[in-house]
Amino acid sequence: MSLKVLIVDDAAFMRMLLKDIITKAGYEVVGEASNGVEAVQKYKELKPDVVTMDITMPEMDGIQAIKEIKKIDPDAKVIVCSAMGQQAMVVEAIQAGAKDFIVKPFQHSRVVEALAKVAKG
Amino acid sequence: MSEMDAYLSVFIEESREHLQELNDALLNLERNPEDIESINEIFRALHTLKGMAGTMGFERLTKLCHRMEAFLDILRKGEIKVTPEIVDRIFYGVDFISQLIESIASSGSEGEIDVEDVVKTFEDLSKEETTGESIAEEEQQAEAETPNEEEPGEEVAVLRPTPEVLDVAKKATDQGFNVFYVKVELAADTALKFPRMYMVFKSIENNGGEIIQTEPDVQAIEEEKFDRTVELIVVTKQNKESLQESISNISEIERVVVKDLKDLSLSEKTAKKHEKSKKAKTDTETKERAPTLSRTVRVDIEKLDTLMNLMGELVIARSRIVETLKRYKVKEVDESLAQLSRTTLDLQNVVMKIRMIPVAFVFNRFPRMVRDLSKELGKRVNLIISGQETELDRTVVDQIGEPLVHLIRNAIDHGIETPEERIARGKPAEGRLELTARQEGNSVIIEVVDDGRGFDRNAIQRKAIERGLLDEQTASMMNDDEIFQFVFHPGFSTKEDATEISGRGVGMDVVKTTIESLNGRVAIHSEPGKGTRVSVILPLTLAIIQVLLVRVAGNIYAFPIVSIDSVMKISPQDIQEIQDREVVVSRGEIIPVHFLRRIFKFQEDGNREAVNVVVVKTREGKRGFVVDDLIGQEDIVIKSLGKLLSNIPYFGGGAILGDGSIALIVDVARLAS
Repeated sequence: MSLKVLIVDDAAFMRMLLKDIITKAGYEVVGEASNGVEAVQKYKELKPDVVTMDITMPEMDGIQAIKEIKKIDPDAKVIVCSAMGQQAMVVEAIQAGAKDFIVKPFQHSRVVEALAKVAKG
Repeated sequence: MSEMDAYLSVFIEESREHLQELNDALLNLERNPEDIESINEIFRALHTLKGMAGTMGFERLTKLCHRMEAFLDILRKGEIKVTPEIVDRIFYGVDFISQLIESIASSGSEGEIDVEDVVKTFEDLSKEETTGESIAEEEQQAEAETPNEEEPGEEVAVLRPTPEVLDVAKKATDQGFNVFYVKVELAADTALKFPRMYMVFKSIENNGGEIIQTEPDVQAIEEEKFDRTVELIVVTKQNKESLQESISNISEIERVVVKDLKDLSLSEKTAKKHEKSKKAKTDTETKERAPTLSRTVRVDIEKLDTLMNLMGELVIARSRIVETLKRYKVKEVDESLAQLSRTTLDLQNVVMKIRMIPVAFVFNRFPRMVRDLSKELGKRVNLIISGQETELDRTVVDQIGEPLVHLIRNAIDHGIETPEERIARGKPAEGRLELTARQEGNSVIIEVVDDGRGFDRNAIQRKAIERGLLDEQTASMMNDDEIFQFVFHPGFSTKEDATEISGRGVGMDVVKTTIESLNGRVAIHSEPGKGTRVSVILPLTLAIIQVLLVRVAGNIYAFPIVSIDSVMKISPQDIQEIQDREVVVSRGEIIPVHFLRRIFKFQEDGNREAVNVVVVKTREGKRGFVVDDLIGQEDIVIKSLGKLLSNIPYFGGGAILGDGSIALIVDVARLAS
């Protein structure tokens, strides 16, 4: 069974890039969301195996979204997407329950590694 | 990089959107320096841009965004107050970002643009005003970006257990706990070292373990003041293998060494204070925005053009079916034909709408421009924008930017007076500049209205007469708005003239040419001392136009309705010859006429009792074209003539009519010259 992934990022460019990497790795992107509110909705709707979650987003940020998603599904697997310089935010996201994080600019191998690890655990 | 090329257009388009957000939020901030939400928005836009630029490998853009973001973070924390100077600096930085993006858009690279100075500006700004905490973090980060290639992970322990730790370790062992020395080595290119280590800590704690000592200390780990390795002393129930495995499973962990503490050679005992893991405190961003989500798909404009074309074909095919079937009078198909007609009409409307985008795309950049310009010219201008949601064909929107820039520039430069002058004239010191858009029928009207000094009719009239464009007698018969039209004349568009005739004229002919190329027109209404209103009237779409169909020697030609002044039926005797040119006199006006049969080299038809003349407006004045018959008015879908026929003058395109015949659309301007 292929892993179902939900991509959350406010930049369409980033979503496109991630989708490409994830699809090439043989996983299935089941949905995309451009902010936290949408992410929570889509999570309920699509029940993905893994969520890639950007931190800085309008409406509801990634950390808040992780908390909301965890309320719905305590076993939710979220990988945080962060940029350089967001140490504190990433730590907060991990405290909120994120399983791993990847850093922009994305390296294909890192993204795939993170997905594989999260899928396994 | 090549696989990145596919993303380049998306990157550019989205970057421009973020630039727009940056400008909007900055303008907001300038008006309300206390508005934290504007600062947040700027921060977010910079942050997203940075991430995108980094991914695309645009180093200078990444660096600049990164520095600006760091500075914005300081503003956000309230460590520095927002002043007009600071807003100016940020605007300055945003301009560089804009230049970089435009360079990337045109050449695919960041070009020769040097960002070092502006980066330094922000570095200095950040340093000047803070106690260095955030900067230290940033510096750390810059180092982290260049991977450090030292120390391949020798089994030499730097960590020296403190006496207290040894004491705790002994007690723990007595109670059946395992005490391990753990050395964790991160991958060479680990970007965020502290969060990664934090995951290691968390994994240990989640498995019931406790970290009783770290090397370097926790503070240094939080600040990422370590190279790649961290040493720990862990008290846990986990066995060696399980501990080793759980840490190895974390991403970006290159190597994990787990040893019993007692196996660690303790040559020296340095007392070090035991520190408990401190949780990093973070400032959570508050994000409130109106929940207006537009669900969109990006489509290449060329695909829409193709769709529009196909749509046109479909409409034509429908008309042909309808016409054919009418001849057979088959009752059964009437209803389904009516249905087909309705559906194609709806479909046509939808396709047209898809091509439409709000004029906001153009209007959005004006607040910034007006701000800069009024600052530069020492004027106070209140820009009021309305109707920005009015939609226009994408191709039109793309092209009206420049003309509007001219109009707005003129209004501020020459229309609106300086605050002193305004007060002297009994007006409020702040000038009012309105930019409005609205739809009226099949047209969209965009107006630039100022309350400045207005046009000086006498000056314009004098100039026109001087240039031989007008004689005294005609001038006295013309109303103000007609006289004002002369500013569109190419002869008026020089700078020195501009100052003389109360300022207008800079590039006005360019404005007119551009608008006319879009099948639109420009009108001016002005009152001395009260202000000026320039109206730009544009067709809703370029793909479908209204034409007058005429017949010449059995062929059908189409004249765009917008360029037609009138149609007359005259007898051939009415055509007179003045100075080797054939003209007709209509309502006291002398109109040169041309015979389309002659221009298109058809045989002339000499024995007609009456001829039809289509009178069109051109830049040189009115021109008449003699045609055989007038057929009528129709909406047509313009098709290009293709590459092979593109060098034939006189025609702007072709169209297929309802009965399947082809009409050529005449290019009035070229026919007349």
